[in-house]
Amino acid sequence: MSDRDAILERVRRAARHRAPAPDRYRPPALAGGWETFAAGLAGVGGEAHGPYAPQALSVRLGELVRRRAEGGRVVAEASAAELAGSGPWQVASEPALGHAFADVAVAVVRGRAAAADCGAVAVIERDAPHRALPFLCQHLVLLLPERALHADLHSAWEALPEAAWRGHHVTWISGPSKTADIEQTLVYGAHGPLTLDVVSIAD
Amino acid sequence: MTASFDRRALATLPSRGELAQHDAAVWDLRRRRDAAVAEVPDWEALRDQAAAVKAFALDHLDELLLRFEERARAAGAHVHWASDATALCRIVSELFAARGARRIVKSKSMLTEECGLNRHLEARGFEVVDTDLGERIVQLAGEPPSHLIVPAIHKTRREIGTLFHRTMGTPEGEDDPERLTRLARADLRRRFLAADAGVTGANFAIADTGGIVIVTNEGNADLGTSLPPVHVACVGIEKLIPSLSDLPVFLRLLARSATGQPLSAYTSVITGPRPGGELHLVLVDNGRSALLADAAQRGSLACIRCGACLNTCPVYRRAGGHAYGTVIPGPIGSVLGPSVGGADGAELPFASSLCGSCSAVCPVKIDLHGQLLAWRSARPTPSRWQRLLVANAAWLMRSPTRVALVRRAARLVWPLLSRVERRNPAAPWLEERELPPLPRESFRAQWKRRRLAPGGASQPTARAPRV
Repeated sequence: MSDRDAILERVRRAARHRAPAPDRYRPPALAGGWETFAAGLAGVGGEAHGPYAPQALSVRLGELVRRRAEGGRVVAEASAAELAGSGPWQVASEPALGHAFADVAVAVVRGRAAAADCGAVAVIERDAPHRALPFLCQHLVLLLPERALHADLHSAWEALPEAAWRGHHVTWISGPSKTADIEQTLVYGAHGPLTLDVVSIAD
Repeated sequence: MTASFDRRALATLPSRGELAQHDAAVWDLRRRRDAAVAEVPDWEALRDQAAAVKAFALDHLDELLLRFEERARAAGAHVHWASDATALCRIVSELFAARGARRIVKSKSMLTEECGLNRHLEARGFEVVDTDLGERIVQLAGEPPSHLIVPAIHKTRREIGTLFHRTMGTPEGEDDPERLTRLARADLRRRFLAADAGVTGANFAIADTGGIVIVTNEGNADLGTSLPPVHVACVGIEKLIPSLSDLPVFLRLLARSATGQPLSAYTSVITGPRPGGELHLVLVDNGRSALLADAAQRGSLACIRCGACLNTCPVYRRAGGHAYGTVIPGPIGSVLGPSVGGADGAELPFASSLCGSCSAVCPVKIDLHGQLLAWRSARPTPSRWQRLLVANAAWLMRSPTRVALVRRAARLVWPLLSRVERRNPAAPWLEERELPPLPRESFRAQWKRRRLAPGGASQPTARAPRV
């Protein structure tokens, strides 16, 4: 018997087929807007900016990106550049490998949904096709349209388009990369970005 | 407590200073958890829901596994099945050998630890690098992890500084956590960029979509799955949950229970391979189906490996993870011990005070102390000398005269006993303890004297009942 059939046979005998399917979870209505999100993000080492009017975005984002990059390479995903217009960034083209981003100082990526209760932003494959970029860059900037912010993780989750879940990845990002593996001392920038900025764009 | 557990505890956290530091560090995690939980108005409802979803998933695991396999294949992933650790190791090493992959980056996975995957791959000439900083530290030190989410919690910054100096050539005497982390970051980045394949575990596997969920704070799993062309995820069959919409419930519980954060820095839902890449999902049994068949113990399969039961456990905090001698320590490790941990593992349910704090903090409501108790009663018949001991005690206790006699004798040998006990090989914990001095007068003598004294304390109206 193959391992597959042996495992399935053992599990079939042991599973009791008794417990009923639980009802869908109904969370209590949680209040949470931009202030809650910004406080939550600060709690995990990130910084919230805005909301900026669309026409002011390019300038404000340009300032932020220059400050973070300190002269280094800045790359924006096409979906983010669409929101931000032109600025001190190159638009990511079609690299064969993620390795092409190893020297990126700042990456600008579009966030698709955000949960105020946990200071998290979802990045989906369609908006960030270069999977390595948000993790290899030294500093990450996420652009978030104001209407994409939801009070809690449940509603933000539901708000993601069905197609997003069919893509290779949906990553919820809450703060910069971090570790506390050496004597529980919190250090930002374990492997991925040293900083995370979330910039909100007014509707 | 068990003798082997105590010997390991004494061997691994030797000085009182290190013990206090370990205790404080672990308790700090518990404190953070409490603060985070207090902010969530529907915490208990979340726990109930998570427990119900897991109970459903375990009761219908065969159906969920088949659905997961079908959907994962439809999304372009390869699905493999491994009955045991040997099968997992063989599948993974054959995959790598066939693709000429030599350099492997790994993110934290208790399952691969349980199956000895690193050892297996290294013996066949593969270079395996654990990339979670804590895992990297214990890998370089040649030690097993001592905590589910903070693998190197037993090591001091000085030890880590010396270790990095010896193995990575970092400056001698460097023991600043931030600078040490930066040095490791630079070293590991090179390895991520040079890797031929990435190995991860999975926190959850979603039957409806064939996707898996990987949660980290460091982003190491995301680098390890986005740079090399091949991603192998090792998934215990108990990780299955029915659908995507179940996930927010578990995610709101997981990081808060682990470290008190609302959410870990990176929660990645990965479905199918990335364009141009390969995704292999290995579904591993290794004793889980046997546990599923055990009505008293199957509940532990609901564990989401948050570590909350470790952080709250008075025994874990003072003994350290290595005392357990199994891959997973703490209360959940003691519950799993008898099924996975061999002879020493069978003793683990006794390394507990049964205070129940573990069950109180468990985000998926596993009846941990109930299961520990069930293991104790399931233990095979007592040995001959244990039966003799109990029979003697019963004979003794039946007669107040005999008890009085033995007590009087005990008062004479007490001071000697303290010295003898300290060398009792069956009870090494006594090395750290002394019997308290006896009061000058025994309880019985005091009772008699006070009762007879004029105007003394309470005058019993009747003879004390004989029990």
